[in-house]
Amino acid sequence: MQPSSRVLIRATGDAGGHAVVLAAAGVLGAAAELLLPATLGRAVDAVLGIRGSATAWMTAAVALIVVAASAEILTGFVSAAGTARATAALRHRLARRMFALPQPVVTRYPVGDLVTRLSGQSTDAGSAAATVVGGVLSGLPPLGALVALALLDPWLAGTFLLGLLLLGLLLRGYAADATAAAHGYQTVQSEMAGRLAEALDGSRTIAAAGTLDRETARVLRRLPDLSAYGTGTWTALAAAGGRTALLSPLILIAVITCGGLLLGAGRLTPGELLAAVQYALLGSGLGAVLTTVNRLVRARTSAGRVAEVLAEPTVTEGTRRLPTGPGVLRLEQVTVLLDGHTALDSVDLTVPGGAVVAVVGRSGAGKSLLAAVAGGLREPDGGRVLLDGVPLIACSPAESATAVGYGFERPVLVGATVGEAIAMGRPGGGAATRRAAAVAAIDDYVARLPEGYDTPLADSPMSGGERQRLGLARALRGERLLILDDASSSLDTVTEARITDSLTRHTAGRTRLVVTHRRATAARSDLVVWLDDGRIRGYAPHATLWTDPAYRAVFAGEVVR
Amino acid sequence: MNTVVRHTFDELGRQRRAVTRLAGWSVVEALPALASGYAIARAVDDGFLAGRPTVGLAWLGGYAVVAAAGAAGARQAYAGLAGIVEPVRDRLAARVVTGELRRATGPGGQPDGAAVARLTHQVEIVRDTLAGLLTVARGFLFGGVGVLAGLTLISAEMAGLVAVPLIAGLLLFLVLLPAMARRQRDYVYAVERLGRTAESLLRGHRDIASAGTRDWAVHTVGAPVDEQCQAETALARMGALRRASLAISGWLPLALLLITAPWAVRNGAGAGTVLGAMVYIRQGLQPALHLLIEGLAGGGLRYGVTLARLLAATGVPSPAPVQVGTLTPPDLLRMRDVTFRYGTAAAPVLDGLDLDVAAGAHLAVVGASGIGKSTLSALMAGLLPAQSGTIRYAGRPVLVPQEAYVFTGTVGDNLRYLAPDTTVSQLDAAVGTLGAGPLVGRLGGYDAPLEPAALSAGERQMIALVRAYLAPAPLVILDEATCHLDPEAEARAEQAFTHRPGGLIVIAHRMTSARRARHILMFDGARPHLGDHETLLATSAAYRDLVGCWTGPGSDPARLPGDGDGLDPVAGAGLRQDPGQVVAHGAGGDRQLDGDLLDRMAARRHH
Repeated sequence: MQPSSRVLIRATGDAGGHAVVLAAAGVLGAAAELLLPATLGRAVDAVLGIRGSATAWMTAAVALIVVAASAEILTGFVSAAGTARATAALRHRLARRMFALPQPVVTRYPVGDLVTRLSGQSTDAGSAAATVVGGVLSGLPPLGALVALALLDPWLAGTFLLGLLLLGLLLRGYAADATAAAHGYQTVQSEMAGRLAEALDGSRTIAAAGTLDRETARVLRRLPDLSAYGTGTWTALAAAGGRTALLSPLILIAVITCGGLLLGAGRLTPGELLAAVQYALLGSGLGAVLTTVNRLVRARTSAGRVAEVLAEPTVTEGTRRLPTGPGVLRLEQVTVLLDGHTALDSVDLTVPGGAVVAVVGRSGAGKSLLAAVAGGLREPDGGRVLLDGVPLIACSPAESATAVGYGFERPVLVGATVGEAIAMGRPGGGAATRRAAAVAAIDDYVARLPEGYDTPLADSPMSGGERQRLGLARALRGERLLILDDASSSLDTVTEARITDSLTRHTAGRTRLVVTHRRATAARSDLVVWLDDGRIRGYAPHATLWTDPAYRAVFAGEVVR
Repeated sequence: MNTVVRHTFDELGRQRRAVTRLAGWSVVEALPALASGYAIARAVDDGFLAGRPTVGLAWLGGYAVVAAAGAAGARQAYAGLAGIVEPVRDRLAARVVTGELRRATGPGGQPDGAAVARLTHQVEIVRDTLAGLLTVARGFLFGGVGVLAGLTLISAEMAGLVAVPLIAGLLLFLVLLPAMARRQRDYVYAVERLGRTAESLLRGHRDIASAGTRDWAVHTVGAPVDEQCQAETALARMGALRRASLAISGWLPLALLLITAPWAVRNGAGAGTVLGAMVYIRQGLQPALHLLIEGLAGGGLRYGVTLARLLAATGVPSPAPVQVGTLTPPDLLRMRDVTFRYGTAAAPVLDGLDLDVAAGAHLAVVGASGIGKSTLSALMAGLLPAQSGTIRYAGRPVLVPQEAYVFTGTVGDNLRYLAPDTTVSQLDAAVGTLGAGPLVGRLGGYDAPLEPAALSAGERQMIALVRAYLAPAPLVILDEATCHLDPEAEARAEQAFTHRPGGLIVIAHRMTSARRARHILMFDGARPHLGDHETLLATSAAYRDLVGCWTGPGSDPARLPGDGDGLDPVAGAGLRQDPGQVVAHGAGGDRQLDGDLLDRMAARRHH
């Protein structure tokens, strides 16, 4: 079975009782809808005294009306409620899987793409039950109506089909007409959007120069063109609308003409003519079957996109705990492949517990990969990474998260407030957050915010340096090993030195692996790992390595801030 | 919702001619609905059943002619619709653009990330749903009246029988409408919340994985997922009630008609009459009702919710004009006792600052990142109002921010932005002085179109610098405006600005840039120190730190040739040492720093 079908079937299961009720009510409703025209016709015939018992047929007709109306109400509710339930279940499952994707996998998906799968396409997939049941059932009345027409008289069915065919042919012209105008419309629209975005980017300049009105006029200059193209789309729509407005009465008139002649000839009763008119109306719903097929295809495609994520591998989660230890980090024969080439090649490295070790090298040397592997953020393709003698991969996620903290060059802050962005769901409360902020020297910044730690992240304008310091505060959760991947590159050197001192004072005893471009940072470390093309070229104190001109060249071009 | 209704009627009121045109053609469009049942009744009773098929065909032919007229009406009605909807969209787009630009350029203004989506997406939703709304509303109004009128032609009693449940069902729907609108709004918010939460968390996937807080992330995304599920279920319940009102107004008339049919037949109604009445209901009334109720509940609510949000987001008042021109040159800027903080409980960014800048001044502002330098530049440029204290200008200063503004247009348009009357020779001179010649050449000269996306950050800054240089304003503020230029280009640009008449304030990005200034404002907390390089070296530990770190190798065991940025932390030649002129701590009046120079600046500490 295809993965997309599995997702759809699971979604139908998640809709549960709703799906069953939907199917039952849908079948009942469709049957009532199909029987009603004939019954109404018989009732009218009976009332006119042509044939049958008026009371019996009228009772039957009213009963069918009640069933049709109730089924409409019920199917509408259960299909929407069932879709909501199945979609929520699918989203929970998808979210859990998304956050368990390994880094190399998740980077293959743009963020927007994942969001679309989670918020948009899961709805299409979640509506599987409603779409399948609704699709099958919505096909019944039009097809049944066609059969009923043929049963009443083959001429009726023939007249009707011919009319429908004409309608389909004439409506086809619309798509082509509208496309040109719609294309022009979108072009002008995106041009205006581009100018607005430009002006918004330059808002400081515009505000200071007092050129607001000029800018507004500049963005809106092509509005008349937009209007012209917009009118064009309406004109195309008007042509199509006019055709539809003509054709549906014409089909009806054709059926009635045919039926009227049959009536005059005595081959049809008035009630049967009434039934024929209603079946012709029901049969016009044949076009809607196409829409349903369309929706089924969409549900399947969406389910495929959801299934694609669900089929990805997840990160390995162990169960072991770490023994008490000083935080000795060992890399044994660690190899990492990146796009087919060897980015880290059989790296052996031991970082003594509590040591501060800098990682330097030209860009592309593999520094960030080494940092990612060293803390268990990325699984190596070969070799092992041990913290105090235990492979990180074998530890439970909670255990390794308590032991290792990561700081990044461009940290992405998540959470509703500044405080939450530091704590990120960690226990310890406000006191731990404030302590971490103080160590990362970002507490002054938070103090200047309108609501301090409770200020929404969105309302906290920050520079790259401030962002990095919040990221550092967040990283301090790692109790044994801190991995700082160029995590203070946006700070001026005063602030960086201040934070380094603070870290040394407050996190003494924690092992620190510091990826850096700065000479001063390397000089302050106990040892320096010099990476070159995925291999360790040197591992010694900065002063020792400095004698090598090739090592010094690593720092050439450093911008001093 | 009241604002939405009012806005909609105001807009329709403006387009009275188009509305009249739409209504007129809608009447024509509704003619087939009026004719259908009656023509069928006559065709059957007087024609086919009476043994006169030609009469029957004639009635049906007449109906076909009316249908053709109706189709023509439908076509014209669409054109009328365009005449209403397009101008409404135009005004709404103008309102969005004006509002967003006002918001972004207002005091403390931040461009809203959703601004462009408002213009492209939400304005379009309003346009499309308004068109849909007008279509279903007039379809029901004219179609429904047509059906009732046609029924009355056949049988007044039947018309009365149909009208009662029809109106009752519609009333029920109208009563439910506000509740539906609330549910719809909740749903829209839930969708947005899920999108926002998922986006921010997925963007931080690496950070979440590195912090081992996957469960927290899944849980955090799970909350809006459940909220959306609840909102959808509530909407589904509303949908059931909506269909119930539809059943009352659409199905009940049919049942009533059927039950009373024997009585009608006894009173002389023919087969055709019963047939015609049924056709009115099944073909005319039920579809029109369905369109109206589903249209109002879907597109109508979407229209209301979207328009309400759009109106609320873009109703930005016109900005208050900046108070300029209250100083007379050579005084260019005077700040007195200026205090600024970002919230009432927040620590101040600036606390009681006094500052004077006169023509010929060259002031650098330095300090650690995030200390408030950009806030100061915004205050000096009049972009932010001070919470207390006064700021006066001699003419609006030119601010060149770090993120240079370059727009789609010609190179010349961009350079002349602040001085539209600049001649080509003046342009040539400015471009030459600032060293922008090669850039302008590469772009193809002043008349060449400029594509902002094709420019590097440094090139954008160069355009902004030439533009500021040409501006008539006497005071120029460079807020890290040269940070993407290489040090030589930066030096050349700053040199050019010091020779420009007027004053120059540089929010410094490199120490070299600060050293070129005659005076330096050192930020270290909310009360900056003012002095020149030597003064600050002697009196400010923070300044010594900054100079040492910005320039010095510190603990390096060896120095590379050409190390640092060529600065010597010891006093340079040609700069006076005037430690005695450093502003006193504690209360005191303004102090003149250099009476003999054109620039007069003072910083005073209160308390």
